[in-house]
Amino acid sequence: MFTWKKLGRVFNPAEIEGKSWLHEFAQAPSVLVFDDFVRVYFSCRPLPDANGQYVSYSAFVDLNRKNLFEIVNIAEQPIFSLGARGTFDEFGTYPTSVIRKGNDLMAFYAGWTRCESVPFNVAIGAATSYDDGVTFKKLGSGPVLSYSVNEPFILSGPKIRRFNGKWYLFYIAGAKWIDNNGKPEPVYKLRMAVSDDGIDWNKLDKDLIESKIEENEAQASPDVFFYNNKYHLFFCYRYSLNFRGKENGYRIGYASSTDLINWTRNDSKAGIDVSADGWDSEMISYPHVFELDGTIYMFYLGNQVGRFGFGLAKLEGELL
Amino acid sequence: MKWKKLGKVFDPTKYTLPNNCKEFAQSPQTLVFDDFVRIYFSTRERDESTGKFLSHIAFVDMDKHFQHVLRISTDTVIKLGELGTFDEHGIFPVNVVRHENKILAYTCGWSRRVSVSVETSTGIAYSNDNGVTFQKMGNGPVLTSSLNEPFLVGDSFVCVYENTWHMWYIYGTRWIDNNVEEAARVYKIGHATSSDGINWKKEGRQIISDVLNEDECQALPTVVRHNDKYHLYFCYREAIGFRKNKERGYRLGYAWSEDLVNWVREDAGAGIGFSEDEWDSDMQCYPHIFKCNDKIYLLYNGNEFGRYGFGIAVLEN
Repeated sequence: MFTWKKLGRVFNPAEIEGKSWLHEFAQAPSVLVFDDFVRVYFSCRPLPDANGQYVSYSAFVDLNRKNLFEIVNIAEQPIFSLGARGTFDEFGTYPTSVIRKGNDLMAFYAGWTRCESVPFNVAIGAATSYDDGVTFKKLGSGPVLSYSVNEPFILSGPKIRRFNGKWYLFYIAGAKWIDNNGKPEPVYKLRMAVSDDGIDWNKLDKDLIESKIEENEAQASPDVFFYNNKYHLFFCYRYSLNFRGKENGYRIGYASSTDLINWTRNDSKAGIDVSADGWDSEMISYPHVFELDGTIYMFYLGNQVGRFGFGLAKLEGELL
Repeated sequence: MKWKKLGKVFDPTKYTLPNNCKEFAQSPQTLVFDDFVRIYFSTRERDESTGKFLSHIAFVDMDKHFQHVLRISTDTVIKLGELGTFDEHGIFPVNVVRHENKILAYTCGWSRRVSVSVETSTGIAYSNDNGVTFQKMGNGPVLTSSLNEPFLVGDSFVCVYENTWHMWYIYGTRWIDNNVEEAARVYKIGHATSSDGINWKKEGRQIISDVLNEDECQALPTVVRHNDKYHLYFCYREAIGFRKNKERGYRLGYAWSEDLVNWVREDAGAGIGFSEDEWDSDMQCYPHIFKCNDKIYLLYNGNEFGRYGFGIAVLEN
């Protein structure tokens, strides 16, 4: 089992003033390391509308590279605007994953639309930044990765990686909607696609890992990290229903692979769980693992899936 | 091209239709058998929970002179999709293809949205009973939105020429906010190719130029090869005010090509127009061209988008 030492909450959106689009939630953190600071992209929300419905934006906070608990800068504006009427990202851009491409950056993000029979649908968009990730220009008004015969809806949670000269997109795809007495809840599983250029993608077209707690287990945030000649996959999973509290809520799982295709799930190795009390006492989710100056860290979300921000843990010992 | 109209051949209000459907026989498309022609169409059930329509596929079998109705489908031809899927709220239209002893269907699935009325994608299904029923390959679409075709992919029409599968389809370009009616969609005709009919590569461009304006809506492409040329029929209209105003409503457009790449739009050569005071005097839409007994036929809908059925014309030259 890995040993993660929790270092505490790094970012709490409630403490930020003067940004109406950043009222609460700081979800799905992922990093881009610069010389002096670590840029953490996350997704956040303004107050809900009169019907209680949210939109979500993606933005970033820059942390001092020498002290990740020191905020040195916060985005002035969200990194992309919401889509035009009828487009896939009209009602939200969450989550976002950013990678370097030459001197530029590419972002992959999930765009949200609203449906009649179910509350939402999600597809994956792409955008390019020419200013070190402060602003992004969308590649098109449609998605870069959309639905297919065996991935009928909810393509979300993109994590972009490059290994051995190829682009890999880890994401989730919906498997079914459970009616749940007229309050539909989605089931989604971890998936992967491969590309030569980041634009034309070939889907693996299968679940990366088996389900463990139940057939309808929902899996999210497939975060792949290469270390010690092995691919380490941290993710989160939950029960399909009544998951908004501690009992059935998100926990962090783990799988490993040597070829990115065949994965061995072993959640008992994950080594991080809910705390006895505090901001991450009911659920932990959306892990993002990265290395910085010789140390391996994990950002993750706490209660209510990041409503109160994200925290940091540090690996003690080896990632084998 | 010169077409001779044979008149309306099917009126859905005169028959009992499956799935509690009343009225509408839209977008007729054929599967030709030795001694009859199966004509699929989309008809409508009122969704009691919302008051909105659900489109279902049904078919009518007719003799090869299109004089007699031999049979009408009694069961569900293709099931609507499960909760949250792309074809949950309707299938309209369907294009049925017979290829190497297989019968497959390209469906246009509808699902409802909140900020706009609908989203569509193309699905695929197979039949093992001569087209009486179809089973879907999966719950998701085979062709859908992409970077520059952001929504409303549908109306697929598929042909195999020289071992390459060709699909003509429509894709949305924008939703227009206006103060006349709910958000209005604009869509254009695109083209994709495939080696297996399942994995498609979009050409990524509008293949038929506009004649009205940039918001011209182009729908339901259908293609036939005849006299060393490819002939593409479709319907087109203005984006707004098209339901009641004849001048802005659907009419048939025409283009031809010698190479399946470059298309010359030439509506004046379509060879078919509105009748006077008849079932197709105000509107013509949803054309479908097919060959039968060495003749080339054109099925299409008339006034009110096919609420009262479809008619047929035969190519004269």
